[in-house]
Amino acid sequence: MYKTLLLGSTLAGITLVSAGVQAEDSVFVGHLADMSGPTAFVGKPYADGVRDALAYINANGGIDGTTLEYETIDYAYKVPQAIASYKKWLSRENMVAMQGWGTADTEALISFAAKDELPIFSASYSGHLTDPQGKNPNTKKPAPYNFFYGASYSDACRGLVQWAAEDWQAKGGQGKPKFTHIGANHPFPNAPKEACAEYATELGFDVQPPVVISMKPGDFKAQCLSLKSSGTNYGYIGNLGGSVQSLIKSCDTVGTDIQFMSNIWGGDKLVFQAAGEGVKNYIFPTMTPFWGDDVPGMALVREISKMSDASGQEPRLHHYIRGVCSTYFMKESMEWAKANGGITGPNVKKGMYVQQNWVPKGLEGVCLAATWSPEDHRGINQVNIYKGNYNGGDIKVEKVNQVTLERRVDWLGY
Amino acid sequence: MSSLAMRPCGDFRTSYKADNTIFETSTIRLVTIMVIALACAAPLVLDGYFLTLFIQISYLGIAALGLNILVGFTGQISLGHGAFFGFGAFASAWLNTSFNIPVVFCIPLAGFLTMAVGMMFGMPAARIKGLYLAIATLAAQFIIQDFFGRAEWFSGGASGAMAAPVNLFGFEFDTDLSFYFIALFALVFMYIWGCNLMRSRDGRAFVAVRDHYLSAEIMGVKLNKYRLLSFGISSFYAGIGGALYAHYLGYVSAEGFTIFMSIQFLAMVIIGGLGSVKGTLMGVVFMVLLPEVLESMVGLMNYTPWGDIPMVTDGLAYIKEMAIGLVIILFLIFEPQGLAHRWGQIKNYWKCYPFAY
Repeated sequence: MYKTLLLGSTLAGITLVSAGVQAEDSVFVGHLADMSGPTAFVGKPYADGVRDALAYINANGGIDGTTLEYETIDYAYKVPQAIASYKKWLSRENMVAMQGWGTADTEALISFAAKDELPIFSASYSGHLTDPQGKNPNTKKPAPYNFFYGASYSDACRGLVQWAAEDWQAKGGQGKPKFTHIGANHPFPNAPKEACAEYATELGFDVQPPVVISMKPGDFKAQCLSLKSSGTNYGYIGNLGGSVQSLIKSCDTVGTDIQFMSNIWGGDKLVFQAAGEGVKNYIFPTMTPFWGDDVPGMALVREISKMSDASGQEPRLHHYIRGVCSTYFMKESMEWAKANGGITGPNVKKGMYVQQNWVPKGLEGVCLAATWSPEDHRGINQVNIYKGNYNGGDIKVEKVNQVTLERRVDWLGY
Repeated sequence: MSSLAMRPCGDFRTSYKADNTIFETSTIRLVTIMVIALACAAPLVLDGYFLTLFIQISYLGIAALGLNILVGFTGQISLGHGAFFGFGAFASAWLNTSFNIPVVFCIPLAGFLTMAVGMMFGMPAARIKGLYLAIATLAAQFIIQDFFGRAEWFSGGASGAMAAPVNLFGFEFDTDLSFYFIALFALVFMYIWGCNLMRSRDGRAFVAVRDHYLSAEIMGVKLNKYRLLSFGISSFYAGIGGALYAHYLGYVSAEGFTIFMSIQFLAMVIIGGLGSVKGTLMGVVFMVLLPEVLESMVGLMNYTPWGDIPMVTDGLAYIKEMAIGLVIILFLIFEPQGLAHRWGQIKNYWKCYPFAY
């Protein structure tokens, strides 16, 4: 009869949760995170950033007195669970905004968010999320309620390509430099593939056929050999985590002479630590300074970090800081919404358009100045380019350049 | 016989017709009709969360029944079911946007397209079986998945494909509530069809192929035909499930139709009971609700004074992931014949009460 027991406890579990308590003056923010799934490598630090920021906001007066109720659900990168969580929050908790995570959940929720008028702040920076009204004929699906803090994958890659063109000239390279996209055949690495190749051609690169490496760690010597034989000078890495480490190690063994440039999730101290000797002048973009940097806004980030690490000693990755920025942009647009008709989904969306060159208060120097408009959701058009070196265990990360991209109309939405 | 309210003690069937009924007793028929009627009225009391879970159960349930027809009834194996599910999703969206075919027709058409693809990848089944067939179908998984990423004209590549909501006589089924009825109709229709298939000549041929392929061949069952047909029907179900998924979400992305999804379908039919139509549904309900129930338990911890700290909730999140695996293992050990078998035992217990033997 334990089956009946199981059934009973199932029903009990479901009904209990439906009786969630609501505070007096509060709004609900859903938070989807991947802490145990395939993208947990960077999902965990980002989620910590969002969660600590939410906790800090509550501990310091909330949204002008309104408490943010929130729940973090580890959906392990599974779309059905992401949808179910979204629906649960929407129908039970009166959710006004959501902090999302990756490509999978963000794309699955685009139409729901548009229909339910619920702003989603994701950590998926796909270019096609930036065209809210479908102005670009290439845009298949306008995403009016999707926001993200950072340059889109395409724009970040364009920035890197721009840097590479300058680098090639500075080094006195002869002829056309060769550019190759390296990544899995998967929506996330593929997102900037076409856009970036197009711009690289425009800048005089000889674009090579893309090299496919798996999202999972493995032995990529064969791919490195083909990179070597094609004579690639600049390689854009579209993957993240273990796959990037394997690639760096394999190519180091093979002995390629290639300038790696990675997407924003493919470069951080943990990756360099694990990849080891192969990390030589590894170029990657960031949207925030690093933990050790001395900028005014870092004081607030360190306070926020104490929400889950009381000692304040734990060094946070730049993904964590991006999570904080994402949450603080949401916070300030909620403040505007509260003063202008109440915190609701449509008002939070409107609040995102109020300020130009907008930096959340207290995070000066941390978050880049952002401008969202009803036609253009490319909040950030700047890319900070950093260089990482391993140096026998002494990891050194230094800023190389800051590229500002023009907001070209034909780049909107892809 | 079918007019009896209860099943008599012992099987006394005097005709093939009696042996073949869907509903063994009039009580079962009545209960089934009542459950469907109740399900129609359920949105009156259920909120969006339950509706979305039910819709999930429907589209996954339809696809899982397809896999059970292949694995449980015909004794073949497929590790590519998730990819077929995805193919149905993209095919329906593609038919709708490229040819302007109304969505209601796109869904079955996508089923037939997926059927064709499934039969193509099922062809090795004519020559190989067991583990070798598993690996051959694994190839289908990877080929189709890669196809989604590359075929811009079909799947939209990296940016995915848009799927319009179901539109019937000008009414758009674009909310949870309205789509619930589409899902319910599709679920009931496909399950009745599945039951009927198993009562037919073809269904019996499937079972014969599974039980002893040599004897089946000697009796005149064409092995290749039925193995291939089984792949076709299985993919058809997957395609219908996938198409429903696409038009529910309104957007299809190549993410998600991975080998894990295929394995999850296998887990559903194994937990539910191989070779049982109602077991399939039980397995799907179980697999969909298990993470939700565990999640809600993690959620409950937030209301306790000591549970609302990241360390505890994170720890529970990991336990949740492990618990899903643990429950599956426990099921395989203690209930290898699936939930359908356990259900039968519970029914027998009450039927014989208090004189169980």
